[in-house]
Amino acid sequence: MAKKNHRLNSISAGTEAVFHIIIALFALCCIIPFIFVIIISFTDEASLREIGYSFVPQAWSTYTYQFAFDKLPQIWRSFFNSIVITVVGTVLSTFMCALYSYALYRPDFRFRNFFNYLSFFTMIFPGALIPTYIISKQVLGLSENYAALIVPLLVSPFNIIVMRTFFKSSCPMELIEAATIDGAGEYSILFRIVAPIAKPGIATIALLNSLAYWNDWFQSMLYIRQNKILQPLQALLMELQNNVEYLNRMAGQMGTAAVMESMKAPTQSLRMALVVMIVLPIACAYPFFQRYIVAGLAVGSVKG
Amino acid sequence: MKKFFALLLALTMVLSLAACGSKPAEPTAAPTEAPAVDAPATEAPATEAPAPAELEPVTLKMWFHGSTVTPEASAKVMETLNPILQEKLNVTLEPIWGTWGDFDTSVTTALAGGDDVDIYFTCNWSGNEYNSYARDGYYVKLDDLLDTCAPELKAAIPEGIWDCAKTNGAEGMGIYAVPGLKDTATQNCWDVNGTLLAECGYNVDEVCAAGLDYFSAEFEEMLAAAKAKKGNDFYPLLIEPAVLERMVTHSAIVTGDLSGANVLSYYYDAEHPATDLGNAIVNKYGTDEFAAFAAKTYEYAQKGYISPSCQNPNTANDYRTACQSSGEYLFGTQSYAFGCELDFSNARGIDVRMVPETAAYMDCTSGQGAMMAISATSKNPERALMFLNLLNTDSEIMTLVNYGVEGYTYNKNDDGTITFVDEVRATYSPWTNGVGNVRILPPTAQQGTDFWTRFADYYNAAETLPYGGFVFDNSVCATESAAIANVYAEYAFNLMSGAVNPDEVLPEFLEKLNEAGMETLVNAANEQMTAYLAG
Repeated sequence: MAKKNHRLNSISAGTEAVFHIIIALFALCCIIPFIFVIIISFTDEASLREIGYSFVPQAWSTYTYQFAFDKLPQIWRSFFNSIVITVVGTVLSTFMCALYSYALYRPDFRFRNFFNYLSFFTMIFPGALIPTYIISKQVLGLSENYAALIVPLLVSPFNIIVMRTFFKSSCPMELIEAATIDGAGEYSILFRIVAPIAKPGIATIALLNSLAYWNDWFQSMLYIRQNKILQPLQALLMELQNNVEYLNRMAGQMGTAAVMESMKAPTQSLRMALVVMIVLPIACAYPFFQRYIVAGLAVGSVKG
Repeated sequence: MKKFFALLLALTMVLSLAACGSKPAEPTAAPTEAPAVDAPATEAPATEAPAPAELEPVTLKMWFHGSTVTPEASAKVMETLNPILQEKLNVTLEPIWGTWGDFDTSVTTALAGGDDVDIYFTCNWSGNEYNSYARDGYYVKLDDLLDTCAPELKAAIPEGIWDCAKTNGAEGMGIYAVPGLKDTATQNCWDVNGTLLAECGYNVDEVCAAGLDYFSAEFEEMLAAAKAKKGNDFYPLLIEPAVLERMVTHSAIVTGDLSGANVLSYYYDAEHPATDLGNAIVNKYGTDEFAAFAAKTYEYAQKGYISPSCQNPNTANDYRTACQSSGEYLFGTQSYAFGCELDFSNARGIDVRMVPETAAYMDCTSGQGAMMAISATSKNPERALMFLNLLNTDSEIMTLVNYGVEGYTYNKNDDGTITFVDEVRATYSPWTNGVGNVRILPPTAQQGTDFWTRFADYYNAAETLPYGGFVFDNSVCATESAAIANVYAEYAFNLMSGAVNPDEVLPEFLEKLNEAGMETLVNAANEQMTAYLAG
């Protein structure tokens, strides 16, 4: 009797086809809006006026990108700002998150309950906008500088909880005891034993943090007012978008002023080009983190 | 020795208070903080306006609204402006160029957070409500300070506009911000696409001279002709429902009405707005005028003259802006600003005509449309006001702040007009009307040499509505206001845009309004108005 050459866990071809179709459709739903944005950013403005958004525009044009690069020097500066904020912010916040949650994970740390509670408390009762603003600006001097864009997002209690749980599930206490017996000090244990094991977890947190920094525009709106040269790219886009939306909404009260000011607004394809410039770099960060995240999925499962 | 120093210190204080202006007898007008306009103790207090050398150097932060200004352009203009300001007032200006989109949120945060900003843009329509922040004590009361620190400014702005700027603030009725002398009147106009009207075989000049009547058969004929000409996908009547309603029924805005929802009104005479019709504030949806308007609009919508996109609040604004800029309409609604037909015609590439529906009139909306308030947290309120005085009366300063530097953002022509360097002007364009007195600006070449004279003549001729200065304080019935706003959000837009049949929906709407406490709100408004008229 011929033995069927079956892989473990295999499913029938029909079911597999159905799953493939479902997942392919889902992937399409995710990718199509982005492709559409790219198409619009390359669409000629006249075509946008004539037929509106379309997958097949009447005329293509790279004018928007030329315009953005030649006429808007702030875009380059904002691009640079975004990268600085994201890199510095991600490194600092991930490092702080890892240290904080490592302390909370160690069962022999006497004040772990207190510090656990301290971070958890801010998750349930976050500081309201105005007190946060006053403390940041008047006490900490977070105003018109890079620090204002980095410090407010440094510590996230949610990330601390995720990281602590990750430490718990991937590094058994016995490992630390064994290392201690072998003569490892606290720092060796952290950096040479625990950190390499927890790499997938740290990478996940780093990804979350870099996304948070890259996408943040709110801090800039609050703390960067006079020195607008420090604006990150997201803040620039948000400002352009909000301007258009505001003038539309206020047209009833402002009358002709709103109509005349709307004429100054950048074209739709320019806004789409900005979206492309924002999405592309961060999309490139995913493959970099991906191998750690996939590795993380297997951690803690039964190994055979 | 100690006593002597204490005495000297006290003397310095007293003298410095007086040094602000020519009326040393009334130095107490300053707010609670000690004013920082310090003059040496040896100065005689009786001098006229102080020479700049006597004034301590001060940096003023001023927050503008709706600016499109890049950091480089701003630095360049300030390089030229600040030496002049230092010479005249010993003031250095640090502008904060708020944009349209970020203004509301960041200004309210800054005000609540007590930022060290000296002068804020404020008005009665944006989120940054002039009347409510004045009531809560965020702005310095200016009535007495104006006489001492800004006599020229006081004289430059007509009495009627100052009256409009009065509000019931934290320190009683008074002026809490300097109104900008800009398009100070409202005139509701039909925005007519002259090019299309001519294509339909009408004599544009004749039609425009005769005026348009929303309820007339001729109006409908023109809509039908345009629809026939341009095809079924074309909707000739491009409306902003709330504006259309105010315009057609000749109803006025009651300042202080629910935010984002106008439910109160009174009616005025379209030809002579100042005439007192003797009517009281009413629920604007309960009147015969509104019923007639809603019925007509529904009829037009049924006949396909109003686009479904105009009837959906989510798409209405974008759709309207897009149609306006491409000239895809026959009749639109517009609150007129002097000279705007020219700009519109240029931008849209069609012959835009403005046909008045009402005469030009003044009310709170015009006086409080763009103002500059001095923050209660300002350390130098007098100097801030002296700066506003200079900004609004000195053509050189106003031109620098508003238009930029000659040879950089604009060039002078031989006839006294100016021409912008478009590329640079795009990087430095504050919202012209939001800066202050626009009438002392040089005219642009398109506007023509006598533009500002014609501008002033037009606005000075505007009549004031009989209850124009009244500001309603709706905080007295906050519960009712919230409930009414909900009902409004459910019905009003649909009724005013002709999306639903008023025969069926209007009675239901009115009933729900009454359940929500409309009567209480109307009575409260009328009570306050009676008190206002008596006082």
